[in-house]
Amino acid sequence: MYNYPTLQRLCKLLGLFVSSVGIVLVLISPLFSTEYFPYVLVIEPITYAGVLCALLGFALISAAYVVPRFIGKKTSTGVDRGTMEQWSLVTQRYFEMFHHDLGRPLSRILGKERELRASLKYNNVEESEGTIDLLDEIERQVPNFRLMMSNIQALIQLELPKTSSEIQPVEPEAIIRKIIDRYTPIAKETGKEITWWSDPQSFGVVSSNSAAIEHIVTNLVDNTMKFADKFIEICLTKNEYAFQVKVRDDGPGIEPDYQRRIFDRGWTPEIGRGQEKTSSGLGLFIANTLAKGYGGAINVASDNSKMNSYTEFILELPIIKVK
Amino acid sequence: MDTKKKQGLILVIDDEWESAIVKHMCRKLEEEGWRTLCVDLGDTPKTGDNYENYALYAIEDNNPDGILLDVRFGEHRDDQFKGLEILQKIVKQYPRLPVLMFTQYAQGPEREIAVRGTLQWNSPVDFIDKLAGADEVILRLRRLIGDTPEIMKLGELISLDIHNKVVFIHKPGSSPQLIDDINGIKFEILKELAITWYKSPSELVPFNKLERYFEGEEARASLRVRIREIKDSLGKTMGIRFGASDLIMNIRDQGYRLSPPDHY
Repeated sequence: MYNYPTLQRLCKLLGLFVSSVGIVLVLISPLFSTEYFPYVLVIEPITYAGVLCALLGFALISAAYVVPRFIGKKTSTGVDRGTMEQWSLVTQRYFEMFHHDLGRPLSRILGKERELRASLKYNNVEESEGTIDLLDEIERQVPNFRLMMSNIQALIQLELPKTSSEIQPVEPEAIIRKIIDRYTPIAKETGKEITWWSDPQSFGVVSSNSAAIEHIVTNLVDNTMKFADKFIEICLTKNEYAFQVKVRDDGPGIEPDYQRRIFDRGWTPEIGRGQEKTSSGLGLFIANTLAKGYGGAINVASDNSKMNSYTEFILELPIIKVK
Repeated sequence: MDTKKKQGLILVIDDEWESAIVKHMCRKLEEEGWRTLCVDLGDTPKTGDNYENYALYAIEDNNPDGILLDVRFGEHRDDQFKGLEILQKIVKQYPRLPVLMFTQYAQGPEREIAVRGTLQWNSPVDFIDKLAGADEVILRLRRLIGDTPEIMKLGELISLDIHNKVVFIHKPGSSPQLIDDINGIKFEILKELAITWYKSPSELVPFNKLERYFEGEEARASLRVRIREIKDSLGKTMGIRFGASDLIMNIRDQGYRLSPPDHY
């Protein structure tokens, strides 16, 4: 991967040097006579050389400013990749610096809330409706916070260059199991049932990026949790070349017009209906971008008819077998 | 009957062990039947190095079955990733000891650093973020430690005595009632479903795993009959008629999943 800012700086320096040499040559050309350099077209060759050097230098400086605008690959935000990588590195450093502190207030509130809940239960105290609502609300917001932090991290990672060390032996089955652990209590609380299975049952190990798989599937499951009516099914399966994670819900389905837009950055169904957004619309965008980044794809199948409506997201990632 | 068999000792290594969130976690683990022990430095200065020394002594002295370990020990720059240093020492000295690491975010750079270190991909080490619910932590520990208790409680109402191969129903206000007609193959099927549920409550048990108890071509049909009988036996005692989507569910003709009720 080219490091554009360094290349740009080098180009500018070289251009400055060459043009300076050119200007100096033009300036000193009257000091030389034809006894050293015979005239060509009535102009001294040293002047020629000077003008050429100056032009070349200016061209290099201009190229340093202009070329990256055309050859610099644009990122999803419209900023060229080199600049974006610089920003992402800075943001990542800030995130690493603050990510512990960001969670601490919530972890304290959560600890107190859980202690209070346990104490009310232990002392057989009849809680008021408002108290229960408050305690439940705190618990309900925690998964949102966890996903939000994980999405910020994923967004930063998306703009950074990939390194081979990101690919490691992973057990997709174990990753899915962890995600389900997180969402099972939430589903239970909202009267929904999650079921998952792996086919084959012992799925084995593949070379992939566990963080990417976790980000993608978490976003798919989180999205499904919002729209499912009662049942959510997650199935892990594979063929010779790829493994698939199917996330299916029995919700109202997605309108055909919306299906091609659901992976757009910041798009939510409310935008389609001209209503106020209730989420960031980044989850599916992150999931889809990550999947593509690892040579995979997410496909969606949905039926929004009144009978048997459903939505199924199918994540497919290539299998790199571990020797 | 004590349905909560002592499952062993969990050692908690966290400088915030007196915080509400860690205390709550310990209480939930104890409700599950585990004993918990927190590494306490007492009057010793609370530095990362001291936590490391005390933690390693505590492991040697108490031989725990699992460890809950925080990544960050205080605000000093050297101690921000102290937990990973402690982890590396534990993995080196006790490679089979299950360790569940508490991080602020389970997929963060901390994990990457740790994985690139001494960890093998199949080390019994897992990462969970500190905001995770107690149920999530318990499930992770169950899978990391691997053992299943001899008496397994399925929700609030049903328990399985794996050793004696019997099933009990727990009615509020009365002593546990033995279900005497769930035995033999029926007990094995229920046990298979219960073990999967215990470690991963939403996971389906595929037909082939349950059909191995039957011979012949009609294995699927025989399995269906046994499942119905299990539901009827439990339902009769509980005074409930379990329907197709209750207790043991057939999911998309792939297998069965246990969904024990919590209340009548």
